[in-house]
Amino acid sequence: MSSKVKRKLTEFLFLLPTLLAFVLVIIIPFILGIYYSFTDWQGTGAVSKMVGFENYAAIFQDAGFLHSFLVTLLFTVLNIITVNVVAFVISLLVTSEIRGRNLYRAGFFVPNLIGGIVLGLVWQFIFSNILPSIGASLGWAGLSKSLISNKDTVMFTMVTVNTWQYAGYIMLIYVASIQGISKSVMEAAEVDGARYWTRVLKIQVPLMANAFTISLFLTLTNSFKMYDVNVALTNGGPISMFMNKPVQASELLALNIYQTAFKYNNMAQGQAKAVIFFVVLTIFSIIQVSWNKSKEVEA
Amino acid sequence: MKKFVALVLALAMVLTAASALADLVICQNKVEITAQMEAYAKLYEEKTGVPVKVITGGGSSDYNTVLKSEMASGREPDIWVIEGPSGYELWKDKIADQAGAEWTQYTDAAYMDGDKVVGFPVAVEGYGLAYNKSILDKAGIDPATLTNYDAYAAAFEKLDSMKAELGLDMVVSMVAGTTTGMTWVTGLHNFNVYLTVGNERNDTTYIDQVLEGKVDPERFHQYCQYVALIFKYSDPDMLLNGTQDSQLAAFANGKAAFYHQGNWMDPSLVALNPDFEIAYAPHAFLKEDTDGILVNPPSWYVVNENGNKDEAIAYLNYLATSEDGANYMVNEAAMVPAFTNVTLAPATPLSKSVMEWNAAGKTYDWQQYKLPDGFGMGTLGAIYELFASGAIDVDAFEAMMIEAIAGLAK
Repeated sequence: MSSKVKRKLTEFLFLLPTLLAFVLVIIIPFILGIYYSFTDWQGTGAVSKMVGFENYAAIFQDAGFLHSFLVTLLFTVLNIITVNVVAFVISLLVTSEIRGRNLYRAGFFVPNLIGGIVLGLVWQFIFSNILPSIGASLGWAGLSKSLISNKDTVMFTMVTVNTWQYAGYIMLIYVASIQGISKSVMEAAEVDGARYWTRVLKIQVPLMANAFTISLFLTLTNSFKMYDVNVALTNGGPISMFMNKPVQASELLALNIYQTAFKYNNMAQGQAKAVIFFVVLTIFSIIQVSWNKSKEVEA
Repeated sequence: MKKFVALVLALAMVLTAASALADLVICQNKVEITAQMEAYAKLYEEKTGVPVKVITGGGSSDYNTVLKSEMASGREPDIWVIEGPSGYELWKDKIADQAGAEWTQYTDAAYMDGDKVVGFPVAVEGYGLAYNKSILDKAGIDPATLTNYDAYAAAFEKLDSMKAELGLDMVVSMVAGTTTGMTWVTGLHNFNVYLTVGNERNDTTYIDQVLEGKVDPERFHQYCQYVALIFKYSDPDMLLNGTQDSQLAAFANGKAAFYHQGNWMDPSLVALNPDFEIAYAPHAFLKEDTDGILVNPPSWYVVNENGNKDEAIAYLNYLATSEDGANYMVNEAAMVPAFTNVTLAPATPLSKSVMEWNAAGKTYDWQQYKLPDGFGMGTLGAIYELFASGAIDVDAFEAMMIEAIAGLAK
């Protein structure tokens, strides 16, 4: 055996455990999932027959799914903006000379350590009980009803909770990136007479482009796949009308897929939705990453 | 590590030994009565000399996992619990016919497969409109007259006009919210009112129609008016945001005259110490009189064809016919027995009322579980909530319900 082949073999052997795990828990279920999406499988027992693209055709007539799709897009856009703006602002705050900045850093990050289900239930209590009782005692009509059971404000509650949870995490990425910018660059700008916001926008932001690539990617995929907060906070409710059908006003795609597969026990249809979900998310992520990559600069 | 393995092996041996000792193995799903059931099993062994071992799986999904692993263990349980058609279909081949067993003559709630008697009703559960007797008395309403739509419409209107002097926040404590996960109250339990009220038990006329995508237009119209009536006299905020706890609290604190829930809420209700008399009134939604509440066993004991079949049936007979069995079911496990020969009355108000209706033979069947998965809670529940939120009127509600049901025809 030549040493080259031997080396390749050793490399492969070292890779094998990881590869095996990856194939077993990602690749095989993924392929099986695609297979099931072409069947009429109900989740138990054997597959009785192949139905071709019937599941996919049915999806596009499903008002609930189309509505979830649009709501997910809306949620993703709003969430990307609020999470990143908030994270960026607090990262500027905790890298400034402010007193107690380490405490703030820890404080902003803590919500991220709380599980989404717990968080959702706590915030549900805040939105459904605490805020209305404050609103009632102050006589504010806008607050006296639960913001969650109103189809026009429910999206606001979801974005609020997710931003509260996730901004601290994204903040860490921005903080690391800000600290990576050489002091001399910032000082040079200061000496040249650039004001604070000019320094932030013209020097820091372009130099942090790779942090934006990562953060936008993380918030995009995280918002698109949002499930736990959705389930615990709103459970998809309240109900609104879409295409003359009753639909769940805050049911995001992941929850819609789960409900199809496990509540309606329509596993094959849920799988077909999951395949579409995967394709769409992949396309969006590739577009976002390549767009952001083109903006990255070296200093 | 070695010590750990040894420990596991020793434990496994002890467990096998324990199950080998028992003549009867029961696998059951009610975690809340594990201790009571084990105590009863011990009592049974003292009286009859037959050792009984009880295996409990917690919650319904866990229970099924436990049962499956027990079935695969090589020592199959002799008695286990099924919760309806899906459990029955799964284990059909192993389940024995108990036709002719002594207990069968005291109940009409057994699980039947054609002429075969396959399931012993563990208990019965029931629901109707629970009422606060002292409020009804003050308003001069006799609950016995609440047997048709017009009686309810008049009673609700009268109570609504007297809200301030009776201290009421709402007439009916009712929930319909998706957010709080309460759509089973509307989409399953309330919808079942349409399916069975006024019919003989086991009469499947309306559920069969629904599964074919059809409804009886006149009956369904009356049903929708009844839903509108309940929603009109409920609290809009409670409908959309009410949880199981807040729904109960409104009734238990005397803020609501009626309460749309079943007797499974008894433990929580008693914990809130209501200081008034409580009983069930029927869901009488038709113009004609119907007098009965909706009662059904939530689960059944089935016997293993290949196990200690005779011992198992003897155990069930003893449970249904002896004083020990009655005492265990009513006083220890706080259940409502499905047997007419049991005369012990439960101490808690809702269960007591269910028992009285059941003993009087005034009950209607539960058939909502025959709806396809998710249809009642999801599809229909959404329409109920839309109606409760005021986004659609009763005619649109009726039309949307009919359209949703028509979707089942495929």
